[in-house]
Amino acid sequence: MALLAVEGVCKAFGSLKAVDEVSFTVAPGEIFGIAGPNGSGKSTLFNLITGIPFAPDRGRIVFDGDDIQGKPGHAIARLGLARTFQRETSFDGLTMFENVLIGASYGKPDRAAAAARDAAAEALEFVGLESRSFGRLAGELSVFDRKCLMLATAIAMEPKMLLLDEPASSLTRPEIETSIGLIRRTAARGITIVLIEHVLTFLMSLSQHLLVLNQGRVLAAGEPATVIADERVIEAYLGTRRAAA
Amino acid sequence: MGALAEILFGGLFQGSLYAMMAVGLALVWTTIGVFNFSHGVFMMLGAYLAWQLVAFGLHPAIAFPLAILATAGVGWLLQATVVRPLIGRANLVLVVVITTLAAGSLIENGVLTIWGPRSKQLPPLLAGNTMIGSIGVSLHQIAIIVVTPLILWALWMFLTRTRIGLALRAVAQNEDASQLVGLNVTALYGLAFAIAAALACIAGIFMGGYRFMSPVMGADPLLKALIVVVFGGISSISGPIFAAYLIGFFEAACSYYFGLYWTPALLFAVLILTLMVRPEGIFTSRGRGLA
Repeated sequence: MALLAVEGVCKAFGSLKAVDEVSFTVAPGEIFGIAGPNGSGKSTLFNLITGIPFAPDRGRIVFDGDDIQGKPGHAIARLGLARTFQRETSFDGLTMFENVLIGASYGKPDRAAAAARDAAAEALEFVGLESRSFGRLAGELSVFDRKCLMLATAIAMEPKMLLLDEPASSLTRPEIETSIGLIRRTAARGITIVLIEHVLTFLMSLSQHLLVLNQGRVLAAGEPATVIADERVIEAYLGTRRAAA
Repeated sequence: MGALAEILFGGLFQGSLYAMMAVGLALVWTTIGVFNFSHGVFMMLGAYLAWQLVAFGLHPAIAFPLAILATAGVGWLLQATVVRPLIGRANLVLVVVITTLAAGSLIENGVLTIWGPRSKQLPPLLAGNTMIGSIGVSLHQIAIIVVTPLILWALWMFLTRTRIGLALRAVAQNEDASQLVGLNVTALYGLAFAIAAALACIAGIFMGGYRFMSPVMGADPLLKALIVVVFGGISSISGPIFAAYLIGFFEAACSYYFGLYWTPALLFAVLILTLMVRPEGIFTSRGRGLA
């Protein structure tokens, strides 16, 4: 059974259909990639799934057997659905440890205080942040460290599924390599991953299934190799990139 | 020596009251990003509720905590009715200024209708007077000076050392990210308002113990609290606390040397200068964030 099933989901802003009749399913344990040019509705789709800041106008989203469309964002998060943002987002005035501790405490509210602290420390070490810098303010960290911090906060929630929004954006090449390894290790913990990226090579090296969006609609979906060989994908996605270059 | 003692004592006393008021205002601003213009009314209502409970024959040791709880409830209710439904609107800050002013005015007139215009007074925290050096002071004032830092310290510990405090500080910084990690933002907003109202009620109990109470008694403390937070920086709660005492001392010194008449003018001159030189307040950096 699918861990996440998105069925006919729509969201319009005025006359602009940002997400238009999008359907797909994600199986437990896989890394599922979502590609598409800028403005194709990738991040909006994540917003709709998490309910933050808005829910879909129409359609159904089933996560782990629960209908989640229309539920409050924090309730969806507590069902085991975590997300990171494209721009590195943290609680800047809190320390690194406090950031992750919030995920560990509130993502799993039944966890005792000591267990939450342990989970927070473990998640920080897992992403490679050193324990001697746990007291630093999140706002003072480098872009890469903040992305790692965001990932650690999500992992500390022990989610069933993690939605990653362009984890490679504004990173250097070696940092991207590190990220790929980190995402693989995260998946190996048993966390199902849905990944947005427009760097295709990044997606190709990670995902088992690929979905391509264009202007809010599903252009193609399936095995990555088949999808990127699709005429329409080459035209809409790579075509515009060549034109831009 | 007498002058210094008088200014020090007056400053500590006024500063305590201002800090108690300003911290609540800052708490609501940092978590929700709105100014609560009914904060002075919370103070007044808290004092009246305490007075009523004492009039029912309850001992102040029971009546005051009950009044604080009840005022916290009113704070939560006000947030649920005139603030929460508006979150997400354009011009939120301005809209909430108007709705909280309106709600405050309703409560103020409600209090006037229920309890009438006749002045009332609460029993002091401690009865009696004493001498500090050459100046005579009431034990009530000394109690306020001692109790206020303890309450503020407790609030600080709550915000920095507890799980809920951590959640409040997180919401203050990033709402979307807070929801994503499972924080119930709506409940935390309600909590921030309730705590602020409770602090205002404590200030009301302080005030009602040494001055006559009236339905408009909250107006001036609200104005002073606004000055304090503008002066100290609204984006934290430590800034307003320091600013409250600083302004307390400034006022005490001004009224000693120039008289009560000139004190407000001098205070506003300092405020305007502060806004010109450091618009973000003297104790804080730009941006929101508790503690």
